[in-house]
Amino acid sequence: MRISIALCRGGVRSYCTDARDGFQSSKLKIFDRHLKRKQRDRAAWLMKPKDSLLDTVAENLLDRLEDCKKTFPTALCMGGSLEAIRRLLHGRGGIEKLIMMDTSWDMVKLCKDAEQKIPNDNIETSYIIGDEEYLPVKENSVDLVISCLGLHWTNDLPGAMIQCRLSLKPDGLFLAAILGGETLKELRIACTIAQMEREGGISPRLSPLAQVRDAGNLLTRAGFTLPGVDVDEYTVRYSSALELIEHLRAMGETSALLQRSKVLKKDTALATAGIYESMFAAEDGTIPATFQIIYMTGWREHYSQQRPSRRGSASVSFQDLQKQFGSDGSC
Amino acid sequence: MVRFGSILMKDGINKSLLEFLVCPLSKQPLRLCEKTNSLISDTIGVSYPIVDGIPRLVPADGKIIEADDALNSDGSVDLPGKRTDDQSGSS
Repeated sequence: MRISIALCRGGVRSYCTDARDGFQSSKLKIFDRHLKRKQRDRAAWLMKPKDSLLDTVAENLLDRLEDCKKTFPTALCMGGSLEAIRRLLHGRGGIEKLIMMDTSWDMVKLCKDAEQKIPNDNIETSYIIGDEEYLPVKENSVDLVISCLGLHWTNDLPGAMIQCRLSLKPDGLFLAAILGGETLKELRIACTIAQMEREGGISPRLSPLAQVRDAGNLLTRAGFTLPGVDVDEYTVRYSSALELIEHLRAMGETSALLQRSKVLKKDTALATAGIYESMFAAEDGTIPATFQIIYMTGWREHYSQQRPSRRGSASVSFQDLQKQFGSDGSC
Repeated sequence: MVRFGSILMKDGINKSLLEFLVCPLSKQPLRLCEKTNSLISDTIGVSYPIVDGIPRLVPADGKIIEADDALNSDGSVDLPGKRTDDQSGSS
């Protein structure tokens, strides 16, 4: 038990940042943000009007707004599946003013055009191009920050989350969905085997993703109160491995590692598809792909929120606890 | 006149949105420059373009303002600057 906890901590530290004080941003660059921007441009061109996976995730995330009694007049929605969030909002959360942000111009334009076709009632929507790593939003200005499947591409995830917290008003809500480590595990396996077989070695083809245990630590580290993390796994079935890659492209989720190998031999690619199909295909010939989504919820601190009492402030000993409750129970 | 107004509506930026925006690098307030249709961060001297009413606030899209432009845009600031230069030159 103790060992596993130590391992968790070690993992988080190496994943996040090498800073000692915990608030200095990491200098480690894992992802090529410029490439990601281009990929999201491409995704905007390839995107279908409705994507069942993105819609399910967006719906699940927005569903959390119904659990809150509070309303969120101003909201910032950033990265990932912007369009699905806007389309599925249906007046939830009492949002009056919505700011949509993405790094990709074409993606924002797509959203803006979609809004003119199906406008959101009574919501004043505005659009900005911005980077999650350099959030251009004023401190203490919004009530809600939603990020649906975008934050897993940031180099400095804790830094981006700290910026989100700062932009929130006190008692503001942060809602995020990111892809978790189990995502595309079949593809990871198939890629590794194909590369070993054809090229005699392996190189990273898929990006590293946060594990579930990291998500809670990330929230507390970014200073959110009442952190909540839950996980959902979706299995999407495709008719072939190539169709999976097409879908990843349309979502803008293809690899954007800075140290990726820039060539993919046709031979290896076909071998990957072959191995994928032979190892994981179902009886009807479809192939499954796992998507693990980590949902994170956190609040900006506020005096009205519940919190643990200060250490050593207890007035009753634990030994007397049973007596206390026992006497209450009898009468 | 009417045409001019409609163009402003199309290209201009919603004023209420401006209240939420800061410079992504310095986190300081931005100034709207209607002449060049851009948002200017005076503290670090960078301008961010507004295209189709959408401000592009990514550091990579920002342009460093030439010194001449900065002086032209706020002429009141350059006077004390010159004075200090003169003082340092004379002493």
